[in-house]
Amino acid sequence: MTLHLDGTKPIYIQISEWLENEILDGNFESDQKIYSQYQLADIFNINPATAAKGLNILAEEQILYKKRGLGMFVESNAKDLILSKRKNQTLKRLVQEIVMEAQRLNVSKQELIEMINAIKLGEERE
Amino acid sequence: MSMIECRGLTKVFGGTKALNNFTCEINENTITGLIGRNGAGKTTLLKIIAGYHQQTSGEIKVFSEEPFNNLTVSANMIFVHDQLNLPTALNLQEILDVMAGFYKNWDRELAHRLFDYFSFHPMQYYNGLSKGMKSTFNMILGLAARTPLTIFDEPTTGMDAAVRKDFYRALLKDYIAYPRTIILSSHHLDEIEDLLEDILVVKQGQELLHMPIAELREYAIGLEGKNALVKEWTKDREIIFSKNGAFDQSYVVVRNDFSESELYQAELAGIEILPVSSSDVCVYLTSKTKGGIDDVFNKG
Repeated sequence: MTLHLDGTKPIYIQISEWLENEILDGNFESDQKIYSQYQLADIFNINPATAAKGLNILAEEQILYKKRGLGMFVESNAKDLILSKRKNQTLKRLVQEIVMEAQRLNVSKQELIEMINAIKLGEERE
Repeated sequence: MSMIECRGLTKVFGGTKALNNFTCEINENTITGLIGRNGAGKTTLLKIIAGYHQQTSGEIKVFSEEPFNNLTVSANMIFVHDQLNLPTALNLQEILDVMAGFYKNWDRELAHRLFDYFSFHPMQYYNGLSKGMKSTFNMILGLAARTPLTIFDEPTTGMDAAVRKDFYRALLKDYIAYPRTIILSSHHLDEIEDLLEDILVVKQGQELLHMPIAELREYAIGLEGKNALVKEWTKDREIIFSKNGAFDQSYVVVRNDFSESELYQAELAGIEILPVSSSDVCVYLTSKTKGGIDDVFNKG
Protein backbone atom coordinates (compact mmCIF):
# COMPACT_ATOMS: atom_id res chain seq x y z
CA MET A 1 0.00 0.00 0.00
CA THR A 2 1.26 3.47 -0.74
CA LEU A 3 0.41 6.43 1.40
CA HIS A 4 -1.07 9.51 -0.19
CA LEU A 5 1.55 11.74 1.19
CA ASP A 6 0.21 14.90 -0.39
CA GLY A 7 -3.40 13.97 0.21
CA THR A 8 -5.90 15.54 2.53
CA LYS A 9 -5.53 13.00 5.27
CA PRO A 10 -2.82 13.33 7.89
CA ILE A 11 -0.31 10.49 7.63
CA TYR A 12 -1.01 9.15 11.10
CA ILE A 13 -4.69 8.75 10.17
CA GLN A 14 -3.65 6.88 7.03
CA ILE A 15 -1.47 4.63 9.17
CA SER A 16 -4.32 3.85 11.54
CA GLU A 17 -6.65 3.14 8.62
CA TRP A 18 -4.08 0.88 7.02
CA LEU A 19 -3.73 -1.06 10.27
CA GLU A 20 -7.51 -1.33 10.49
CA ASN A 21 -7.57 -2.80 6.99
CA GLU A 22 -4.89 -5.29 7.99
CA ILE A 23 -7.06 -6.39 10.90
CA LEU A 24 -10.23 -6.53 8.75
CA ASP A 25 -8.41 -8.59 6.14
CA GLY A 26 -7.49 -11.07 8.84
CA ASN A 27 -3.75 -10.49 8.66
CA PHE A 28 -3.80 -9.97 12.40
CA GLU A 29 -5.87 -12.15 14.71
CA SER A 30 -7.07 -11.07 18.13
CA ASP A 31 -4.35 -10.97 20.79
CA GLN A 32 -1.72 -11.01 18.08
CA LYS A 33 1.08 -8.46 18.30
CA ILE A 34 0.79 -5.73 15.70
CA TYR A 35 3.63 -3.82 14.00
CA SER A 36 5.74 -1.61 16.25
CA GLN A 37 6.14 2.09 15.55
CA TYR A 38 9.65 1.38 14.28
CA GLN A 39 8.48 -1.31 11.87
CA LEU A 40 5.80 1.03 10.55
CA ALA A 41 8.33 3.85 10.22
CA ASP A 42 10.53 1.56 8.17
CA ILE A 43 7.68 0.21 6.02
CA PHE A 44 6.27 3.63 5.15
CA ASN A 45 9.44 5.70 5.40
CA ILE A 46 8.01 8.05 8.01
CA ASN A 47 9.08 9.39 11.38
CA PRO A 48 8.51 6.83 14.18
CA ALA A 49 6.62 9.48 16.17
CA THR A 50 4.09 9.75 13.35
CA ALA A 51 3.70 5.98 13.30
CA ALA A 52 3.24 5.97 17.08
CA LYS A 53 0.46 8.51 16.70
CA GLY A 54 -1.34 6.17 14.32
CA LEU A 55 -1.01 3.30 16.78
CA ASN A 56 -2.18 5.44 19.68
CA ILE A 57 -5.40 6.38 17.91
CA LEU A 58 -6.27 2.69 17.72
CA ALA A 59 -5.30 2.18 21.35
CA GLU A 60 -7.59 5.05 22.38
CA GLU A 61 -10.41 3.48 20.41
CA GLN A 62 -9.69 0.17 22.15
CA ILE A 63 -8.97 -1.59 18.90
CA LEU A 64 -5.46 -2.26 20.19
CA TYR A 65 -4.21 -2.71 23.72
CA LYS A 66 -0.77 -2.06 25.14
CA LYS A 67 1.35 -4.51 27.04
CA ARG A 68 4.05 -2.66 28.86
CA GLY A 69 7.41 -3.32 27.26
CA LEU A 70 5.98 -5.77 24.74
CA GLY A 71 4.10 -3.61 22.28
CA MET A 72 0.55 -3.34 21.01
CA PHE A 73 -1.88 -6.21 20.52
CA VAL A 74 -5.21 -6.64 18.77
CA GLU A 75 -8.31 -6.56 21.00
CA SER A 76 -10.68 -9.51 20.72
CA ASN A 77 -13.59 -7.39 19.41
CA ALA A 78 -11.37 -5.23 17.19
CA LYS A 79 -13.05 -6.30 13.95
CA ASP A 80 -16.55 -5.37 15.14
CA LEU A 81 -15.36 -2.04 16.46
CA ILE A 82 -13.71 -1.17 13.17
CA LEU A 83 -16.73 -2.22 11.14
CA SER A 84 -19.19 -0.19 13.17
CA LYS A 85 -16.87 2.81 13.21
CA ARG A 86 -16.40 2.71 9.46
CA LYS A 87 -20.14 2.46 8.92
CA ASN A 88 -21.00 5.32 11.24
CA GLN A 89 -18.23 7.66 10.21
CA THR A 90 -16.58 6.90 6.90
CA LEU A 91 -19.58 5.57 5.04
CA LYS A 92 -21.84 8.26 6.45
CA ARG A 93 -19.50 10.97 5.28
CA LEU A 94 -19.24 9.47 1.82
CA VAL A 95 -23.03 9.33 1.61
CA GLN A 96 -23.18 12.97 2.66
CA GLU A 97 -20.85 13.85 -0.18
CA ILE A 98 -22.94 11.89 -2.66
CA VAL A 99 -26.12 13.59 -1.50
CA MET A 100 -24.48 17.00 -1.80
CA GLU A 101 -23.24 16.32 -5.31
CA ALA A 102 -26.71 15.04 -6.23
CA GLN A 103 -28.26 18.28 -4.98
CA ARG A 104 -25.78 20.30 -7.00
CA LEU A 105 -26.70 18.32 -10.11
CA ASN A 106 -30.44 18.42 -9.39
CA VAL A 107 -30.61 14.66 -9.13
CA SER A 108 -33.74 13.60 -7.27
CA LYS A 109 -33.74 11.20 -4.36
CA GLN A 110 -35.51 8.61 -6.50
CA GLU A 111 -32.92 8.94 -9.25
CA LEU A 112 -30.07 8.62 -6.76
CA ILE A 113 -31.52 5.45 -5.27
CA GLU A 114 -31.93 4.03 -8.74
CA MET A 115 -28.29 4.79 -9.44
CA ILE A 116 -27.22 2.97 -6.30
CA ASN A 117 -29.42 0.02 -7.21
CA ALA A 118 -27.94 -0.07 -10.70
CA ILE A 119 -24.44 -0.37 -9.26
CA LYS A 120 -25.56 -3.10 -6.91
CA LEU A 121 -27.27 -5.00 -9.73
CA GLY A 122 -24.13 -4.75 -11.81
CA GLU A 123 -22.21 -6.30 -8.96
CA GLU A 124 -24.61 -9.23 -8.71
CA ARG A 125 -24.44 -9.95 -12.43
CA GLU A 126 -20.67 -10.29 -12.36
CA MET B 1 14.35 16.54 27.75
CA SER B 2 15.59 19.44 25.70
CA MET B 3 18.89 19.15 23.89
CA ILE B 4 19.05 22.76 22.79
CA GLU B 5 17.68 25.80 24.57
CA CYS B 6 17.87 29.31 23.16
CA ARG B 7 16.56 32.35 24.94
CA GLY B 8 16.49 35.83 23.43
CA LEU B 9 19.28 34.94 21.05
CA THR B 10 20.46 37.86 18.91
CA LYS B 11 23.28 37.93 16.40
CA VAL B 12 24.24 41.13 14.63
CA PHE B 13 26.24 41.13 11.41
CA GLY B 14 27.24 44.60 10.23
CA GLY B 15 24.15 46.36 11.44
CA THR B 16 21.58 43.73 10.47
CA LYS B 17 20.16 41.29 12.93
CA ALA B 18 20.51 37.79 11.51
CA LEU B 19 18.84 36.52 14.65
CA ASN B 20 16.55 38.80 16.56
CA ASN B 21 15.55 37.77 20.07
CA PHE B 22 15.24 34.13 19.00
CA THR B 23 13.81 31.67 21.52
CA CYS B 24 13.26 27.95 21.13
CA GLU B 25 13.84 24.52 22.60
CA ILE B 26 14.66 21.38 20.67
CA ASN B 27 13.90 18.05 22.28
CA GLU B 28 16.31 15.19 22.56
CA ASN B 29 16.03 12.37 19.99
CA THR B 30 13.73 14.18 17.59
CA ILE B 31 14.18 14.99 13.93
CA THR B 32 13.43 18.68 13.53
CA GLY B 33 13.06 20.39 10.17
CA LEU B 34 14.38 23.93 10.05
CA ILE B 35 12.52 25.88 7.41
CA GLY B 36 12.81 29.48 6.33
CA ARG B 37 13.41 31.73 3.36
CA ASN B 38 16.87 32.69 2.15
CA GLY B 39 18.39 35.02 4.71
CA ALA B 40 15.90 34.16 7.45
CA GLY B 41 18.70 33.25 9.86
CA LYS B 42 18.74 29.45 9.58
CA THR B 43 22.46 29.03 9.01
CA THR B 44 23.33 31.64 11.63
CA LEU B 45 21.25 29.74 14.16
CA LEU B 46 22.91 26.44 13.26
CA LYS B 47 26.38 27.98 13.45
CA ILE B 48 25.67 29.30 16.92
CA ILE B 49 24.30 25.92 18.04
CA ALA B 50 27.42 24.26 16.62
CA GLY B 51 29.63 26.74 18.46
CA TYR B 52 31.12 28.33 15.32
CA HIS B 53 29.76 31.78 16.14
CA GLN B 54 29.18 33.52 19.41
CA GLN B 55 25.88 35.29 19.88
CA THR B 56 25.75 39.07 20.28
CA SER B 57 23.33 38.71 23.16
CA GLY B 58 20.97 36.17 24.68
CA GLU B 59 21.52 32.69 25.99
CA ILE B 60 22.09 29.33 24.40
CA LYS B 61 22.62 25.91 25.93
CA VAL B 62 23.52 22.76 24.01
CA PHE B 63 23.94 19.61 26.15
CA SER B 64 23.34 22.12 29.00
CA GLU B 65 26.56 23.95 28.07
CA GLU B 66 27.47 27.12 26.21
CA PRO B 67 28.46 25.83 22.76
CA PHE B 68 31.00 28.48 21.76
CA ASN B 69 34.57 27.12 22.06
CA ASN B 70 33.21 24.12 23.90
CA LEU B 71 34.85 20.69 23.64
CA THR B 72 31.88 18.68 24.91
CA VAL B 73 29.70 20.20 22.22
CA SER B 74 32.17 19.76 19.40
CA ALA B 75 32.91 16.15 20.35
CA ASN B 76 29.22 15.23 20.47
CA MET B 77 28.04 17.16 17.48
CA ILE B 78 28.59 17.14 13.76
CA PHE B 79 27.57 20.04 11.58
CA VAL B 80 27.31 19.12 7.92
CA HIS B 81 27.07 21.96 5.43
CA ASP B 82 28.30 22.67 1.92
CA GLN B 83 31.45 24.51 2.93
CA LEU B 84 33.08 21.78 5.00
CA ASN B 85 36.78 22.41 5.29
CA LEU B 86 38.18 18.98 4.58
CA PRO B 87 41.91 18.46 4.14
CA THR B 88 42.88 18.76 0.48
CA ALA B 89 46.04 16.68 0.93
CA LEU B 90 44.13 13.55 1.97
CA ASN B 91 42.19 11.24 -0.29
CA LEU B 92 38.65 10.19 0.58
CA GLN B 93 39.71 6.98 2.31
CA GLU B 94 42.18 8.88 4.46
CA ILE B 95 39.53 11.44 5.35
CA LEU B 96 37.24 8.65 6.56
CA ASP B 97 40.11 7.21 8.65
CA VAL B 98 40.80 10.59 10.23
CA MET B 99 37.10 11.13 10.98
CA ALA B 100 37.06 7.79 12.82
CA GLY B 101 39.61 9.21 15.20
CA PHE B 102 37.52 12.30 15.93
CA TYR B 103 34.15 10.76 16.68
CA LYS B 104 33.87 8.07 19.30
CA ASN B 105 30.67 6.55 17.86
CA TRP B 106 32.01 6.56 14.29
CA ASP B 107 30.61 3.57 12.41
CA ARG B 108 33.37 2.38 10.08
CA GLU B 109 31.21 -0.26 8.50
CA LEU B 110 28.34 2.07 7.71
CA ALA B 111 30.75 4.61 6.25
CA HIS B 112 32.29 1.92 4.12
CA ARG B 113 29.00 0.52 2.87
CA LEU B 114 27.65 3.95 1.96
CA PHE B 115 30.97 4.80 0.32
CA ASP B 116 30.70 1.75 -1.92
CA TYR B 117 26.98 2.15 -2.56
CA PHE B 118 27.47 5.68 -3.89
CA SER B 119 30.45 4.50 -5.99
CA PHE B 120 33.18 6.61 -4.47
CA HIS B 121 36.78 5.67 -5.12
CA PRO B 122 39.14 5.61 -2.10
CA MET B 123 41.88 7.41 -4.03
CA GLN B 124 39.69 10.34 -5.11
CA TYR B 125 40.21 13.78 -3.62
CA TYR B 126 37.40 15.82 -2.12
CA ASN B 127 38.16 18.88 -4.21
CA GLY B 128 37.87 16.82 -7.37
CA LEU B 129 34.28 15.81 -6.61
CA SER B 130 31.25 17.38 -8.28
CA LYS B 131 28.87 19.46 -6.18
CA GLY B 132 26.42 16.59 -5.80
CA MET B 133 29.14 14.07 -4.97
CA LYS B 134 30.56 16.45 -2.34
CA SER B 135 27.13 16.64 -0.73
CA THR B 136 26.85 12.86 -0.85
CA PHE B 137 30.23 12.44 0.79
CA ASN B 138 29.30 15.00 3.47
CA MET B 139 26.16 13.03 4.13
CA ILE B 140 28.21 9.88 4.74
CA LEU B 141 30.29 11.79 7.28
CA GLY B 142 27.16 13.10 8.99
CA LEU B 143 25.54 9.69 9.26
CA ALA B 144 28.58 7.61 10.18
CA ALA B 145 29.71 10.05 12.90
CA ARG B 146 26.52 9.08 14.75
CA THR B 147 26.85 11.98 17.15
CA PRO B 148 24.11 12.67 19.72
CA LEU B 149 23.50 15.95 17.90
CA THR B 150 23.60 15.83 14.12
CA ILE B 151 23.00 18.97 12.09
CA PHE B 152 22.49 18.99 8.32
CA ASP B 153 22.34 22.41 6.72
CA GLU B 154 20.75 22.01 3.29
CA PRO B 155 22.42 18.62 2.84
CA THR B 156 20.91 17.81 -0.54
CA THR B 157 22.38 20.72 -2.51
CA GLY B 158 23.34 19.39 -5.93
CA MET B 159 22.23 15.80 -5.26
CA ASP B 160 20.12 14.20 -7.96
CA ALA B 161 16.63 13.01 -7.12
CA ALA B 162 17.65 9.38 -6.61
CA VAL B 163 20.47 10.24 -4.20
CA ARG B 164 18.21 12.61 -2.25
CA LYS B 165 15.71 9.80 -1.84
CA ASP B 166 18.45 7.40 -0.74
CA PHE B 167 19.75 9.96 1.72
CA TYR B 168 16.36 10.47 3.39
CA ARG B 169 15.88 6.73 3.62
CA ALA B 170 19.38 6.18 5.05
CA LEU B 171 18.84 8.97 7.58
CA LEU B 172 15.55 7.47 8.73
CA LYS B 173 16.87 3.92 8.98
CA ASP B 174 19.91 4.96 10.95
CA TYR B 175 17.77 7.16 13.19
CA ILE B 176 15.43 4.23 13.93
CA ALA B 177 18.40 2.04 14.85
CA TYR B 178 20.29 4.79 16.71
CA PRO B 179 17.92 7.54 17.87
CA ARG B 180 19.61 10.91 18.17
CA THR B 181 18.81 14.59 17.85
CA ILE B 182 18.82 15.62 14.22
CA ILE B 183 18.26 19.06 12.76
CA LEU B 184 17.70 19.21 9.04
CA SER B 185 17.43 22.51 7.24
CA SER B 186 15.93 22.45 3.80
CA HIS B 187 14.04 24.43 1.22
CA HIS B 188 12.13 21.35 0.18
CA LEU B 189 9.70 20.69 2.99
CA ASP B 190 7.60 18.44 0.78
CA GLU B 191 10.59 16.09 0.45
CA ILE B 192 11.45 15.87 4.11
CA GLU B 193 8.19 16.33 5.95
CA ASP B 194 7.49 12.62 6.43
CA LEU B 195 10.83 12.19 8.14
CA LEU B 196 10.22 14.95 10.63
CA GLU B 197 8.73 14.89 14.05
CA ASP B 198 8.83 18.65 14.62
CA ILE B 199 9.09 21.66 12.39
CA LEU B 200 10.70 24.97 13.23
CA VAL B 201 9.91 27.85 10.91
CA VAL B 202 12.15 30.90 11.04
CA LYS B 203 11.26 34.30 9.63
CA GLN B 204 13.43 37.41 9.84
CA GLY B 205 15.57 36.02 12.65
CA GLN B 206 12.66 34.97 14.82
CA GLU B 207 10.80 31.78 15.57
CA LEU B 208 7.56 31.85 13.62
CA LEU B 209 6.26 28.36 14.31
CA HIS B 210 7.51 25.37 16.24
CA MET B 211 5.14 22.42 16.33
CA PRO B 212 4.78 18.74 15.55
CA ILE B 213 4.68 18.34 11.78
CA ALA B 214 1.34 16.55 12.04
CA GLU B 215 -0.25 19.71 13.38
CA LEU B 216 1.10 21.81 10.55
CA ARG B 217 -0.84 19.73 8.06
CA GLU B 218 -4.05 20.82 9.74
CA TYR B 219 -2.89 24.34 10.49
CA ALA B 220 -4.51 26.03 7.53
CA ILE B 221 -7.33 25.48 5.10
CA GLY B 222 -8.12 26.92 1.68
CA LEU B 223 -11.51 28.28 0.65
CA GLU B 224 -12.33 28.82 -2.98
CA GLY B 225 -15.48 30.30 -4.46
CA LYS B 226 -17.27 33.49 -5.39
CA ASN B 227 -15.57 36.63 -4.01
CA ALA B 228 -18.45 37.79 -1.83
CA LEU B 229 -19.11 34.34 -0.48
CA VAL B 230 -15.49 33.65 0.42
CA LYS B 231 -15.24 37.08 2.00
CA GLU B 232 -18.23 36.34 4.17
CA TRP B 233 -16.85 33.01 5.35
CA THR B 234 -13.35 34.31 6.05
CA LYS B 235 -14.20 37.55 7.81
CA ASP B 236 -12.85 37.82 11.36
CA ARG B 237 -10.45 34.99 10.62
CA GLU B 238 -6.69 35.06 10.31
CA ILE B 239 -6.00 35.28 6.59
CA ILE B 240 -2.71 33.67 5.60
CA PHE B 241 -2.90 34.02 1.84
CA SER B 242 -5.37 35.29 -0.69
CA LYS B 243 -5.53 35.30 -4.44
CA ASN B 244 -8.11 36.58 -6.86
CA GLY B 245 -8.75 34.26 -9.72
CA ALA B 246 -10.69 34.74 -12.91
CA PHE B 247 -14.49 35.21 -13.09
CA ASP B 248 -15.11 36.74 -9.70
CA GLN B 249 -13.50 33.77 -7.93
CA SER B 250 -11.09 34.00 -5.08
CA TYR B 251 -8.96 31.61 -3.10
CA VAL B 252 -8.24 32.41 0.52
CA VAL B 253 -6.15 30.45 3.00
CA VAL B 254 -7.02 30.94 6.67
CA ARG B 255 -6.12 29.38 10.02
CA ASN B 256 -8.10 26.19 10.32
CA ASP B 257 -10.29 26.98 13.30
CA PHE B 258 -13.50 25.87 11.63
CA SER B 259 -15.64 23.24 13.24
CA GLU B 260 -16.67 20.29 11.11
CA SER B 261 -20.25 21.52 10.83
CA GLU B 262 -19.08 24.97 9.75
CA LEU B 263 -17.06 23.43 6.97
CA TYR B 264 -20.04 21.38 5.94
CA GLN B 265 -22.22 24.49 5.80
CA ALA B 266 -19.61 26.38 3.81
CA GLU B 267 -19.56 23.55 1.31
CA LEU B 268 -23.33 23.59 1.09
CA ALA B 269 -23.14 27.33 0.43
CA GLY B 270 -20.97 26.56 -2.57
CA ILE B 271 -17.46 27.06 -1.29
CA GLU B 272 -14.85 24.53 -2.14
CA ILE B 273 -12.76 23.50 0.86
CA LEU B 274 -9.21 22.58 -0.02
CA PRO B 275 -6.40 21.19 2.09
CA VAL B 276 -3.21 23.24 2.15
CA SER B 277 0.05 21.32 2.07
CA SER B 278 2.64 21.93 4.77
CA SER B 279 5.07 23.38 2.30
CA ASP B 280 2.48 25.82 0.94
CA VAL B 281 1.62 26.90 4.49
CA CYS B 282 5.31 27.63 5.07
CA VAL B 283 5.61 29.59 1.84
CA TYR B 284 2.55 31.67 2.71
CA LEU B 285 3.59 32.26 6.31
CA THR B 286 7.14 33.28 5.44
CA SER B 287 6.34 35.58 2.53
CA LYS B 288 6.23 39.28 3.18
CA THR B 289 3.08 40.15 1.28
CA LYS B 290 -0.23 38.33 1.33
CA GLY B 291 -0.55 38.17 -2.46
CA GLY B 292 2.95 36.89 -3.19
CA ILE B 293 4.79 37.64 -6.42
CA ASP B 294 1.52 38.62 -8.14
CA ASP B 295 1.48 41.83 -6.09
CA VAL B 296 4.61 42.99 -7.90
CA PHE B 297 2.77 42.87 -11.19
CA ASN B 298 -0.50 44.34 -9.92
CA LYS B 299 0.01 48.07 -10.31
CA GLY B 300 -3.60 49.04 -9.89
